[in-house]
Amino acid sequence: MSVLGFLAGRYLVGLGRRTHVATVSAISFGAMALGAAALVVTLALLEGFQATIRAQLAEAGVHAVLRPTSGRTLPGGDWLAKLRARHPELEVRASSGGAVWCLGGDAAVPAELEAVDGLSRVEVNRVLAAQLGVGAGSELTIASPKLVLTPLGPLPMRRRVAVAAVSAMRPGDDRAVVLVPTRIGAALLDLGAPNTVELRARDVTQAWRVASVVQAELPKGVEVVSFAELNRPLLAALTLERAMIGFGVALVMAVAALNLLCNLALLAAEKRADVALLAAIGLPAARIRRLFVALGLGVGALGGVLGTLVGGVGAWLLDRTRALPLPRGVFIVSHVPFRVTPGAVATVLAVSLAAALLASLAPARAAARRNVLEGLRYE
Amino acid sequence: MSDALVIARGVRKGYGSGERRVEVLRDLDLEVARGEMLAVAGPSGVGKSTLLHLLGLLDRPDGGELLLFGSDVAALSVEERARWRNRRIGFVFQFHALLPEFTLEENVAMPLLIAGQPRRSALATAAEQIAAVGLGHRRTHFPDELSGGEQQRGSVARALVAAPELLLADEPTGNLDAANAEALFETFEELHLSRGLTSVIVTHNEALAGRCGRTLRLTGADVEVGCSRT
Ligand SMILES: Nc1ncnc2c1ncn2[C@@H]1O[C@H](COP(=O)(O)OP(=O)(O)O)[C@@H](O)[C@H]1O
Ligand SMILES: [Mg+2]
Repeated sequence: MSVLGFLAGRYLVGLGRRTHVATVSAISFGAMALGAAALVVTLALLEGFQATIRAQLAEAGVHAVLRPTSGRTLPGGDWLAKLRARHPELEVRASSGGAVWCLGGDAAVPAELEAVDGLSRVEVNRVLAAQLGVGAGSELTIASPKLVLTPLGPLPMRRRVAVAAVSAMRPGDDRAVVLVPTRIGAALLDLGAPNTVELRARDVTQAWRVASVVQAELPKGVEVVSFAELNRPLLAALTLERAMIGFGVALVMAVAALNLLCNLALLAAEKRADVALLAAIGLPAARIRRLFVALGLGVGALGGVLGTLVGGVGAWLLDRTRALPLPRGVFIVSHVPFRVTPGAVATVLAVSLAAALLASLAPARAAARRNVLEGLRYE
Repeated sequence: MSDALVIARGVRKGYGSGERRVEVLRDLDLEVARGEMLAVAGPSGVGKSTLLHLLGLLDRPDGGELLLFGSDVAALSVEERARWRNRRIGFVFQFHALLPEFTLEENVAMPLLIAGQPRRSALATAAEQIAAVGLGHRRTHFPDELSGGEQQRGSVARALVAAPELLLADEPTGNLDAANAEALFETFEELHLSRGLTSVIVTHNEALAGRCGRTLRLTGADVEVGCSRT
């Protein structure tokens, strides 16, 4: 061990002697540990909530959408059948359709009809429900541009249906949409090739991978919209939230680092005579600077590591023991979720190391620059 | 060129500037031969410590020429000055003898540790040196557990531990009783004989000064420094 390690170690630990240095460094150590722990717990909390939200998104929504790169309909051929056959782990819902009028309540509005295979009931989306003033249980009439000859002359083909549900909106879609079973759709419109295909993994944890899994098997003219792209605004908001809150809590680390800086400066002033003595017996200025940086890093980095450890284990325990319950029915989870990720741990360690280093540099330089004789001359 | 270890020619040193300027050393000429034991005496504030600091490379003269070990000290780099202080010069300071967080043994070993010696051998050498100044039983004590005289002897041990060529001691017997001061001087004399140590010792003790080969009397009043051979 070099003499710097020896000196720094003694100043920090104090060897059972209650040195002022040891006390002061204990305070700074605690501050850094607290800052690191706060940061880890906050990041774990954010990650916990956000993971819950992402899981909820995957649970409720579509995992990928296939759509034509141009035009209204997807190219024909047997690629869709092949896709179905090759990926039994995916639910594939092709929908085709066109423009219709919907009449219900006291209004008639243009809407997009989507005939969805596998769908057994009629659903309207929120926009249409609001425009028509209908909801689950109401009835509505769909009128298509297809004409039928009646005793009264040619009239649009009409079909009266019962609305079974109001479906969730696809993010970014503000059209009025009515979803119907293929049987009804075919009666109202000449259904050609599908215009969109929605994909869902039966195992919702695979939501993020669906787009990349099918990507290679799609013919020209079909593009895939991934889960991330489908939910871009929300996911971007979550990322921003994490960055901003993380930054805010990282300010705690800055305060801890300032405390460390003050204590190191104090230490340098108090140990002035000792530092001068060391310089006088041949410790070069550069090594005096390194001694103080070592002291700062010893306090700050070790405090950061300890805080990260305590915070990480604490967050993990809080999650495992479900120690913080949430009111039932208000949140989608029953307890406050924490999730400690390696990335968050690495970030906190890096931040505390950098903070400790920055806090040490100025006092270390000041200590190394001080005139030797001034430290030695007076008692 | 003589084989003098220390040569000072017209060395000047003062402090402050303007009205507050104090000229402490004015045109000091001094030679200390290898193996010589020089006592420095004079009233308080005359510049004894100032002289020792110049010789110990802790401060730089304002003017004149100072040669140590045959080299002009003005030409030394900061690193070389530090290395010389560590290995070639032993300094006993007037105040601030020992580092309070370290045991006597560790304090004495410090110059060796700074020089990069392994801890074990440095501590062993330190233990021998501590025994040589009569503090063998106090090795593992901390400075605040030692009396003023013991601390002073400890700092003498530290000054000698790296076997320096030049010993500079600023009132090393200031806190010692007559018997201990006597013993310390005997240690110095022994080192002169055995190792050819050269030393410059500031002391108020006329009896001890008398045992040195030569006494440099700083009077302050005159520019020329009185020098008496005893
Ligand atoms: N850094 C300094 N600034 C101003 N004056 C100083 C400084 N150091 C020493 N002096 C003055 O120089 C003179 C000599 O001091 P010093 O060498 O310590 O004397 P001695 O050791 O002989 O008692 C004193 O008058 C002291 O006040
Ligand atoms: Mg003095």
